[in-house]
Amino acid sequence: MKKSLKKAARLLAAVLALCLTLTGCSRGLSIFSNYRRLEMVELVRTITVDGAEDGVNVAIYGTAGEKQEARMYQRTGPSIGVAMNELSLLPLGREAVLSHTEELLIGEDVARERLDEVLDYVERFSETRLDIGLLVVRDSAAWELVSGLAGEETPASDVLAGLSRSIDRVGQGYIFSCREIVTSLAQNGVALIQCVRGVQEEKLFENRGDLNLAPAGFAVARPDAIVDFLTEEETLGTMLLLGKYRSKNVDIPVDGAVLTLSVDSVKPEIKPVFSRDGALERVEIRLTLGANVVCMAGLTDLRQAETRHRAEDGLSQRFGDALTAAVKRGQAMGIDFLDLYGILSRREPLRMEDAVGKNWDTLFPGLPVEIAVESTLSRTYDIIDPPEISGREEGDPWEKLTGSLKDN
Amino acid sequence: MLRGKAKAPAPPETTSNAPVTVAALEAVFEGCYDFESRDVHIGGDIRRKARLCFIDGLVSGSDVAQQVIRPLTDPERFGAVTDTKAVISMLLGGSVYVYTAKSRETLGELAGDLLNGFCALLFDAERTAVTFEVKSPQRRSVEAPREEKVVKGAKDAFVETLKINTTLVRRKLRNTHLKIREFHLGRRADTSAALIYIDGFTNPSIVAEAERRLAGIKTEGALTSAVIEENIVDNPRSPFPQLISTERSDKFCMNLLEGRVGILVDGLPLGFLAPGTFSQFMKVPEDHAGHFLVASCLTLLRYFSVALTLLAPAFYVAVAMYHQEMIPTRLMQSMIEAKQQVPFPTAVEVIMMLLAFELLQEAGIRLPSPIGETVSIIGALIVGQSAVEASVVSPVVVVVIALAGIAGYTMPNQDMGSALRLCRFLLVAASIALGMFGVALGCAVLLYHLSSLESFGVPYMTPFAGGQGRHLSRALLRHSMTEKRDREPELKTEDGGEAKL
Amino acid sequence: MGKTDGITERQLTVLIFVSLLSPMIRVLPTAAVMLGGRASWLSPLPALAAGAALTGLYTLLLKNAPAGMGLQEAAEQGLGPVGGRVFGVLTALWLGLYGGFLARSAAERLLSTVYPNGNPPIFVIVLLAAAALTAAGLTKSLARTAEVLMPLLLAIVAVVLLSAAPEVSSANLLPVTYRDWRDILYGAVPIFNVAAAFGYFLFLRGRVVRDGEQRPNRFPWLILLLAVAFGVTFFTLGTLGTNLSITMENAFFMVIRNIRVFGVIERAEAVVVAVWIVTDFIFLSSVLMIAAEIWKTVAGVKRRTFFVLPCAALSGAAAFLIAPDAFALLKWSEFLIPAINLAFTVILIPLALAVGKIRKKY
Repeated sequence: MKKSLKKAARLLAAVLALCLTLTGCSRGLSIFSNYRRLEMVELVRTITVDGAEDGVNVAIYGTAGEKQEARMYQRTGPSIGVAMNELSLLPLGREAVLSHTEELLIGEDVARERLDEVLDYVERFSETRLDIGLLVVRDSAAWELVSGLAGEETPASDVLAGLSRSIDRVGQGYIFSCREIVTSLAQNGVALIQCVRGVQEEKLFENRGDLNLAPAGFAVARPDAIVDFLTEEETLGTMLLLGKYRSKNVDIPVDGAVLTLSVDSVKPEIKPVFSRDGALERVEIRLTLGANVVCMAGLTDLRQAETRHRAEDGLSQRFGDALTAAVKRGQAMGIDFLDLYGILSRREPLRMEDAVGKNWDTLFPGLPVEIAVESTLSRTYDIIDPPEISGREEGDPWEKLTGSLKDN
Repeated sequence: MLRGKAKAPAPPETTSNAPVTVAALEAVFEGCYDFESRDVHIGGDIRRKARLCFIDGLVSGSDVAQQVIRPLTDPERFGAVTDTKAVISMLLGGSVYVYTAKSRETLGELAGDLLNGFCALLFDAERTAVTFEVKSPQRRSVEAPREEKVVKGAKDAFVETLKINTTLVRRKLRNTHLKIREFHLGRRADTSAALIYIDGFTNPSIVAEAERRLAGIKTEGALTSAVIEENIVDNPRSPFPQLISTERSDKFCMNLLEGRVGILVDGLPLGFLAPGTFSQFMKVPEDHAGHFLVASCLTLLRYFSVALTLLAPAFYVAVAMYHQEMIPTRLMQSMIEAKQQVPFPTAVEVIMMLLAFELLQEAGIRLPSPIGETVSIIGALIVGQSAVEASVVSPVVVVVIALAGIAGYTMPNQDMGSALRLCRFLLVAASIALGMFGVALGCAVLLYHLSSLESFGVPYMTPFAGGQGRHLSRALLRHSMTEKRDREPELKTEDGGEAKL
Repeated sequence: MGKTDGITERQLTVLIFVSLLSPMIRVLPTAAVMLGGRASWLSPLPALAAGAALTGLYTLLLKNAPAGMGLQEAAEQGLGPVGGRVFGVLTALWLGLYGGFLARSAAERLLSTVYPNGNPPIFVIVLLAAAALTAAGLTKSLARTAEVLMPLLLAIVAVVLLSAAPEVSSANLLPVTYRDWRDILYGAVPIFNVAAAFGYFLFLRGRVVRDGEQRPNRFPWLILLLAVAFGVTFFTLGTLGTNLSITMENAFFMVIRNIRVFGVIERAEAVVVAVWIVTDFIFLSSVLMIAAEIWKTVAGVKRRTFFVLPCAALSGAAAFLIAPDAFALLKWSEFLIPAINLAFTVILIPLALAVGKIRKKY
């Protein structure tokens, strides 16, 4: 009896286990509803969201295979969720998969009115990564820009990915990810978003579209919408202070020549200065820059310390101006998008708490900020400026060289 | 050989304690055409006869003639001896040129000797027989191992003859503590088996357990390795091997020196070693022949292969069906493109390829070796490529299944490889039904099964589990021979588990 | 060499460690950050002190209890046969419910991370079936499984945390000053609550076989467990910040969502979520095993196998009844479940042991 019961129990277990493999037959009690046929998948790389008359216009750009043409699908809906839902089932029963999305571009109108909705969708939808880059498109609809970037053979997403990476690389901006934006909004109530615009340029490559991507500064966002845009100068100052600056070449005129310097080390130091009674008196920002000579137009003697100092001063002036502009803009807006409070609190947590408490928003606009920039020219790479000629010839080789130039 | 403590079962037909007579013996072997029986005149005297019996083929005819009949019929030696008892005494005392002579008074013992390559001289009047060992030399000679390849090491593999195999062991371990106990297995076949261990070193409880299990084997005949394995392992239902089997005598001896017991069976060119633990199946004797760093890397590679052969198809199914977000964009694009040409769902594709792989493998093994190899290669190359070209399967599936298959071939033990192949199918099924959740849970249940196994009281997963968490490196790496080495603590050798240098 | 079911002290401790990794990830960092804010990454420190104190208390209370005496036997001796059995039945019933909660939470995690369109029942049923199968087996088999899994799990946690390291921002973690001590202590409560669940495992003490001079030393394991708690809280908080960490139910897995593995795996999330199911499986199996073990002692029978299926059925029923949807589950997990858990592990179980100690029963 006992044995037959055991046998029956085993048989039942085996039947149940077999049933488990048949769960595909049901769309209800199974995980099979997560099943997607690989051949029916449309891999979305870029999403754009623009404002529409009755809501939003969402466009997705994807490919079904490596060698297949990239396609764009567009839907309009009262909300992003509804429009996305419409897009989830594409023509011929294809399914859009958002997990490989790399960039999300939103139009200026959506950025001003529906930013929270966009971020919430990305945050809540388990398919999308949180580290996808968010860009605000200025002066045109986001979908128009992306469509304009694409060429006959090159998908817009590939062009966009390449261009947006280059924005970071050449120090023209910094693409904040959705995670960075959401975290910053949640922590500080303000976040920065990179803006871009389409520029009509002569085609560099045949397989590219008519438009090119150009950075257009940062947008300052509050939790529900963006409130303003920063100029190029203010964006540079912000990047310097937030440590988002990677590398940029700048031209500095020195003694009639023009030095192109690559700034590749930026160290901001921000500290609060308190009065004797513990009140926050002012903020000191000290920026240390390290630069190298990339190229030189004309001639100047970089062996002379004074010459180098003049070049360094020129660089300091240039970056100091950017920094000042950024700080002043923040104070004028009454929005601490540079997160000065956070930086100062981490440096002097107790004294800042005593001095500022919860009054930062009141104090910040009128707070004196002292900015000092110090630059150091490190090297000229393999070129010695000017060439030092040693040997039996008498006289200063430099004078000989400049003399011969003058004669010519 | 020492006689095993447990009473060995005698063949059923010859258990009789009946006294020895020619008629009774001939009755026992009635219908056996290879049974030979003839009279021999003692000392050449036709009045005095003895009956010579033997099994043709089991004994050497020339040895019988030269070493038994010739001296027995010599008038100078036996002519003057008229008393039969004196003749028997002379035969047992060495008057014939055979090194083993036994006096037998029961039919059972006598028949047993004849079946073991003895010839017998029966003296009806005395109800006594004298048996002489004159085994036929027709046996396979010691050769290099066929299945377990040797690059740098001993090339004397076990053969089908127990005596030769025990000799191979004895030659490598010249130690009086090396004990070889004899057992008889099989009620009808009466196969000889030997339990081998190092006395005073091997854990006595493992030895006692092995003796108990060998004596407890109830079978008609121990002619295949499964008879031994399935009868003495702790969990015969598990597909995982719990006894280490090897055709290499050096591996056999190395394991005896680790504190294991060995079992050799007449007729099987294999040695069995117990306890068998998972980590032991990941090792090959070559590990001890090459440099320890190389050997350690290869051991780690084998563990990686276990994961690959077990998980690669299941992982692919889970990723392709449920978790596409895991696949890098470029790869995903090419996978989609390839899949668009294939009419079957991923699950069917994978199962189809796994089955095709098994078919090819089976065909390769069953066919004669040159054809088998050709079938395997042609099968893999042509069928695989054709399947891809005909859009029956996508290329990624072929790559994944081939990878899993190749990884499976790195298993030093074929039984372990087969068990992993079986589990691979189960994990694929779990993956089809439940995705990555199914794979993870399937692995957990598989690990639970492995952890529940024991071999002769030693946890199967030792040293990964069941110990004190030490000696993990023993399983994963091969230490330098100059270092002080610890034995597997779970084997509890009588020297405390520490190898003295 | 019969089939004895003895485990060593180390095995019991490893089983506890692997099991507690499951609630650790469920609770952390959300619960700790909710109570401790930005400073909660330091909360594992006071939790360690409290956990060590509780471990010490249990060790003290069971110091003279003979080897082979489980917690239920000790309770029956201390509280008397009736009181002890009432205590046992209460605990076993609670563990049955708790098992249901664990299974349901695991299913919800799968849904909100990698199976967005799935239904919880299938996960709960499969998980409970596997756990029941294991719980009906030998304790040593489960303990050995935990032993094998432990290094793998630790390696995965280490890789995941290291991969998340570049995203960690000091702005999310600092400033923390001595003035935050209250927050740090508050944040320690949920961590301590998780660690305190080791008390349930003392019901398996009867299975422990002393091997020579081996003495229970759970402190290093407690440190390791809280090191994992620290890592999870530190890296998640450092990546997502305070507000986002408490907004998300599975903040740790949200961090993993962004992890790429050497360009080979685009998102390792599915693997990590699936691997974490293994800890749920071990914990659930342990809980069912402990519940069945208690029923076995209460009923005075030799084998616990018979009780496993009813316990699993109770857990299954609890899973569906207490949390028909994610909102109900959240409600239960926010207060009631942690409170009952604390009541059992910090008050009721030590109290039952203390009575026996006072009555000099052991």
